[in-house]
Amino acid sequence: MHSDHVFEAQELGKEYDGGQVHALRGVDATIRDGEFIAIVGQSGCGKTTLLRMLGALDRPTAGQLLYRGEPIPELRDPSAYRAREVGFVFQEFHLLPTFTAIENVQLPMLGMGLSADRRRRRAAQLLEAVGLKHRFDHLPAKLSGGERQRVAIARSLANEPPVLLADEPTGNLDSENAEMVMDLLNRIHRERGGVLVLVTHDAAVAAHASRQIEMKDGRIAPCYQSI
Amino acid sequence: MTFLDIVLRGLIRRPLRTGLTALGISLGIAALVALVGTARGFQRGWADAMKARGTDIVVSNMAGALTPTTFDESERDRISHLPGIKSTSVLLVNLTSVEDAPMVIVSGREWGGYEWKNLKLVSGRLPRDAGEAAVVLGKAAAESLRKKVGDPIQIEAQQLQVVGIADGGALVENGSIILSLPLLQQIMGDSGKINVIDVEVDPSLGESGIKRLCSEIDRQIPEAHALEAANHIGDSMAYRLIHAMSWGTSLLAVVVGVLGVTNTMLMSVFERTREIGILLAIGWRRIRVIQLILSESALLGLTGGIVGILLGYAAAKAIEMAPAMRGLVQADFTPGLFAIAVAIAVGVGVLSGAYPAWRGAQAQPGRSLSA
Repeated sequence: MHSDHVFEAQELGKEYDGGQVHALRGVDATIRDGEFIAIVGQSGCGKTTLLRMLGALDRPTAGQLLYRGEPIPELRDPSAYRAREVGFVFQEFHLLPTFTAIENVQLPMLGMGLSADRRRRRAAQLLEAVGLKHRFDHLPAKLSGGERQRVAIARSLANEPPVLLADEPTGNLDSENAEMVMDLLNRIHRERGGVLVLVTHDAAVAAHASRQIEMKDGRIAPCYQSI
Repeated sequence: MTFLDIVLRGLIRRPLRTGLTALGISLGIAALVALVGTARGFQRGWADAMKARGTDIVVSNMAGALTPTTFDESERDRISHLPGIKSTSVLLVNLTSVEDAPMVIVSGREWGGYEWKNLKLVSGRLPRDAGEAAVVLGKAAAESLRKKVGDPIQIEAQQLQVVGIADGGALVENGSIILSLPLLQQIMGDSGKINVIDVEVDPSLGESGIKRLCSEIDRQIPEAHALEAANHIGDSMAYRLIHAMSWGTSLLAVVVGVLGVTNTMLMSVFERTREIGILLAIGWRRIRVIQLILSESALLGLTGGIVGILLGYAAAKAIEMAPAMRGLVQADFTPGLFAIAVAIAVGVGVLSGAYPAWRGAQAQPGRSLSA
């Protein structure tokens, strides 16, 4: 394995319902440090399944999936991996409705050895960085879709993970907000480095990526297999 | 924002449900505090009454009923000569309805016994002799029977007169009707019968001396049991029954509380499946999810416990004021009882939260987010 390989998938497979549904059928792929990858494909092609496996939210039923040389399904502490190594951004934002913007951003930091004061200061910095200085104490219901996604992006950065995983981050946004969110993700990736893996079915969004992986029927489409 | 803030947020998001569940626990705890406090107060009242009378040892047979079973007056002669005994006094004590009061302690005391000397009159006088158809009322008894000095009073079929009102220095004593032993024996048709021998010991006799004397008395009078005054009511079957019933009732209420909290916490976990999935996805450990749910249910228990103590206190005061109980009981609340109540309430919370917490922690983040 190359030293700059962050993720490496070999013959990765995922079956549901006792083999009746094949979400992934032998995926081979490599993601290197510093890359911005867009996984594209039609609905049901397995791209979200692959993203979830990268984030240790789901386990493969076949093949190997390595993170910096370590098999993800055999991680001793998957929660520590999710807390420190990856940050998630979801299509439906997935903010906790009874917590304000600044509280939502602090949630991943609990139990990370930071004082309450430091957690709040860091959350404030992150919200400022995504342009939400004026929205600290707003509940998610009082924020627009674009603002909610920016809170979610700030939350994904809470523990400074080297990998950001975004599942259709613009899927629930109008074109203006979608553009703003993509600009933000681009900027974050440029400034922080690390890996950004984004799942989308929107070609305009995928165009932001440095490399695209197209999936079809649980496989990587033939023209992308050389990657 | 701290972990406690998150716990509180989980509870106040459904204020009505949280409030009703806490109220459910608090009713159980209130029952415990009121019933156990009242039962202990009953015991304490007796101990105080004995002290006020100057009695160190009580010889009676409390095993049968609420009042001791009777035995022959002459039994006393078997022990009066024992070393360490300063004086003895025999009594016939009965719990009976008198006029409008459903339950009053009627205490017939040996004429010339030391208890008469320890009686502090607040008005009127003592009976002139053992035969006078006269009674002295304790303060609380006078109040609940609405009697003053000079009023007539009827006990069973006998017409008597209130000649004095006394401050007995203790609740049970204050709630009693006191008259001479021969008079009560005659009224009850129990001639020559008593059910209590009060013993005053030499002041030099220490605690161990009193215990030794009790054993000696037990040998001399096998049909009764000698106990230090403070402990004697606790020995009665009736008291033990009341005590067991108060704990039994309370624990039943606590079981209902457990079911209520379990139901609430399970509903709370089910409706937050997605949120728990989000927390797991952003790196929360399962143990932290368990801690969150257990802390919520423990806090629910603590709230119920504190409210329950207040309600129980109020209920016990209401029992004291009830016409049937006036002068008979005064609840005995100790920090220990409150601590037990709070510990049980928090225990109910933790126990009830255990299964919901385990269920919550089983959530699969991937699946919960798609739910």
